[in-house]
Amino acid sequence: MRLGTPAPATPAAELARLQWTTAIVAGATLPHWPTLPFWAPLLLGVAIAWRLAIAALEWPVPVRTLRLLLALAAFCAVLFSYRTINGVEAGSALLVVMIALKVLESKGHRDQLVLIMLSYFLLFASLLTPRGPFTAVYLLLLLWLTTVGLLQLSRRGPLLQLRSTGALAGRLLLQSLPLMLALFVLFPRLPGPLWAIQGTSTSATSGLGDTVNPGDITSLALSDEIAFRAQFLSTPPPARDLYWRGPSMTNFDGRTWSMSIGDRRNVAASVEYLGAPTEYRVMLETTGRNWAFALEMPKLAPDERTLRMGSDYQLRTFPGTPRGTRLDYRLASYTRFRALEPLGEAEREMFRRLPPESSPRTRELVQGWLADNPEPEQLIERGMDYLRSQPFFYTLTPLALREQPVDEFLFDTREGFCEHYASAFTVMMRVAGLPARIVTGYQGGELNGVGGYYIIRQSDAHAWTEVWLEGRGWVRVDPVSAVAPERVALGSWRSALAGERVPGSAFGRLQWVRRALLVWDAAATYWNEWVIGYGPQLQRALLDALGFDGAARAERWSKLLLLCVGATLAGSLLVTLQLAWRRRRRTPVDEAARELAAFTRRLAHLDVAPRAPTEGPAAYAARAESRLPHAAGEIRAIIAAYLRARYERDADLAALAELRTRVSAFRAARA
Amino acid sequence: MFAPARSLENWAASWARRRQGADAHSVVLKRRRIYILPTRFGTIFALMLLVMLLGSLNYGASLGFMLTFLLAGLGLVLMHHCHGNLLGAEIKLLGAHPAFAGERAEFRIALRNDTAAPRYEIELAHERHATSPVDAAPGAQETLRIAVPTERRGWVTLGRFAVVTRHPGGLFRAWTWVHMDARCLVYPRPAPPGRPLPESAGLGLGGKPDVGDADFAGLRPAAPGDPPQRIAWKAFARSDVLLLKQFAGGDREPCELDWDALPDLEPEARLAQLARWCLDAAADARTFGLKIPGAALPLGAGPQHLGACLEALALCETGER
Repeated sequence: MRLGTPAPATPAAELARLQWTTAIVAGATLPHWPTLPFWAPLLLGVAIAWRLAIAALEWPVPVRTLRLLLALAAFCAVLFSYRTINGVEAGSALLVVMIALKVLESKGHRDQLVLIMLSYFLLFASLLTPRGPFTAVYLLLLLWLTTVGLLQLSRRGPLLQLRSTGALAGRLLLQSLPLMLALFVLFPRLPGPLWAIQGTSTSATSGLGDTVNPGDITSLALSDEIAFRAQFLSTPPPARDLYWRGPSMTNFDGRTWSMSIGDRRNVAASVEYLGAPTEYRVMLETTGRNWAFALEMPKLAPDERTLRMGSDYQLRTFPGTPRGTRLDYRLASYTRFRALEPLGEAEREMFRRLPPESSPRTRELVQGWLADNPEPEQLIERGMDYLRSQPFFYTLTPLALREQPVDEFLFDTREGFCEHYASAFTVMMRVAGLPARIVTGYQGGELNGVGGYYIIRQSDAHAWTEVWLEGRGWVRVDPVSAVAPERVALGSWRSALAGERVPGSAFGRLQWVRRALLVWDAAATYWNEWVIGYGPQLQRALLDALGFDGAARAERWSKLLLLCVGATLAGSLLVTLQLAWRRRRRTPVDEAARELAAFTRRLAHLDVAPRAPTEGPAAYAARAESRLPHAAGEIRAIIAAYLRARYERDADLAALAELRTRVSAFRAARA
Repeated sequence: MFAPARSLENWAASWARRRQGADAHSVVLKRRRIYILPTRFGTIFALMLLVMLLGSLNYGASLGFMLTFLLAGLGLVLMHHCHGNLLGAEIKLLGAHPAFAGERAEFRIALRNDTAAPRYEIELAHERHATSPVDAAPGAQETLRIAVPTERRGWVTLGRFAVVTRHPGGLFRAWTWVHMDARCLVYPRPAPPGRPLPESAGLGLGGKPDVGDADFAGLRPAAPGDPPQRIAWKAFARSDVLLLKQFAGGDREPCELDWDALPDLEPEARLAQLARWCLDAAADARTFGLKIPGAALPLGAGPQHLGACLEALALCETGER
């Protein structure tokens, strides 16, 4: 009602409130800093400093026109930085700059409360993108801080001590937790968005790209970021078979390999699966792409609704699936297979195409092989032999390649990593007239013994060659296995490159650090699965387990909403009980009187007449002592403790505690 | 506040009055009489939660849901804390000192907290005004003052007031209406000074005051015409300032303040002039008596006598009112 009544505040008190407000606002913007343009936190800092200077040093308040101009400029700057004001990141940036301007013009109680509210909203905005458990704890701390701010700034009187307010904020949040959990589990979730989400995220999407340019992938190979996790439901295949297939590269311009455009045909039917399937589950990190990774060669179930197999045997999500969602899928793959895609003459030509003037030295070399023996199998063997016999090195830090990358690599530098080898080998095969392409993906992975799953990191990225042979279809050839067999055999280049600067190697000898990292990763996985991934499917599974199975959606929802109401009421009851319990306790003074009453009741059993209303404690003690001379010392000590707890100025709880122990000891001794 | 809201509040308060009955001078706030509604800030907070919920649904953001529900839980918890902040508090009427008409009558009301937990930011709202909020530590008693403007002499009643809190968080406003039978005496507004005191020595009112009980009451700067035997010569020797010794009760001739001595004034103006004279006489430490319709106070002096005289003036039935 009279919300706006300004409290008559001293400048010092006003400054304290202002400091609180600005600290809270600055804290709430922290999670956004990584995605904000550099000038946005700067603007906020300047606005806060200016506002504090207005309060403390009596600087002039900027005039209205200037504020409007600033707002317009900030709006345009956001629009310029993001090319839109839609989407989470641009929206958050806009929110931050508008908050900065609000800070500048804030005056009084109401503006400060509005800023607190906006801080809550900023925290919320930072949660629209999935966050790990560590970040969640950090955000919880910021939430606590904001709540302390709410408690402080909603006061009209002087601010309270940080300790008591901090404790109160913590208690309030703890009391809200049960309801949060109940609503989180029970509130009906929607399978899709309410309105279209703009894919305007400017964050670098990590992972494999849609081109391969030997030299690019160095940074990726060094990244410890997790690409996906895979949990095998049957026996895991050996490491050398762990080829996680991703996009294939067909077009080559002499430097860069890129994907062919468009789906050529449904190739799934052409695969001949051999041996027993390996079943597993993949938990994919967000990539911003529409492709998924699978162990070669996946066999999709007929009713598969998450993934489809496009051309080049590549798994993709169905059109319309929002990008940036965390995919979680189950698959069956056969590590023994024949990819018998029939290729027409035009298609064979496409897989043989090379830029006309490129790689003259390579052409010369391969022409020699062709003259010796034009058998396709023999040509592949010659290529591998060449890599084996010449001094090639596997390294993550190769020399730069200039005009003729393939020639320079094959004849001059002779050092590189998977992409160099795959690129060079594919070019050799194409020169030899065999249809060939590069397949990118991941190879190997690290077993997390704690969680029982494999972690596949960006540093496990790999590239290999596929050659098409008449009658055998696409055959995988991994030229790296010729140069650095450990890379493939062990499923990781970590051991192959013991001396190199590679992630995790610094911890190589510290087993407990590695173990802690694995535990942490397991926690992050459970977090992703049960918290981030809690959606309509999990909710439905949970309801089925609770016995609501088979209900129609409307019925399910009404039940869920009813449960939400029930949870709210139960939460209310819980809080009421807690509060009543806190209020039930009396002050130390009353407690002391109660202890004395218990003591006199005990003494009454020992034939000491109850204390008369007019009888002081000291007189009563004297009377009791004369009745019970053997207990005189104890009685005197109890009465002394009582007098301290009850009448001493600033009697603390220690005196009461002493009284309590003495009385209970006395009662126990004479029970 | 809008007029409709105010009339709604009045209607609700009178409904509460019928429901609760009148209160004694000491009230412990029970559940039955504590009301609670969201404030405007609380409503905005709820709207923000709604926006957050829609956003979470749209983005399927689990952590967004978590924050939304945590804040919703926080709102609920804050509501209970706000209610609990009043629950069990004791409100006691301490009284009110008399005031002159035109001044504010100040009712003193105590807030007692007999629980182990502190109570924060409790204020009293009366008519359109609210006191500044107080915090009450465990076992503490805090005094709040409601100032009621007065216009006429006589009794002014406190009427309904509300005990209000928005702690913690300011999302909710919990309140209770209290209807205590509290009244404060309002003296007539004294006439402006100027008219000298009547110098009529004790005709038929109480005779000469007993000079024997004249007590030394202090010193004041001497003025021309003061009797030389009252000059404090010893003080003059020390400080070169002429001071006059004053004696309570025995200073000057006693004066009679008589209703009938002011035939030229309207009845209320007469009372105002008499109040002024009472104050002047007391300030001069003179003994004085008062005679008005329905009451006659004998000669006397001191604050109690002054209070009795002003009370008589405040409650005087002039026949016009």
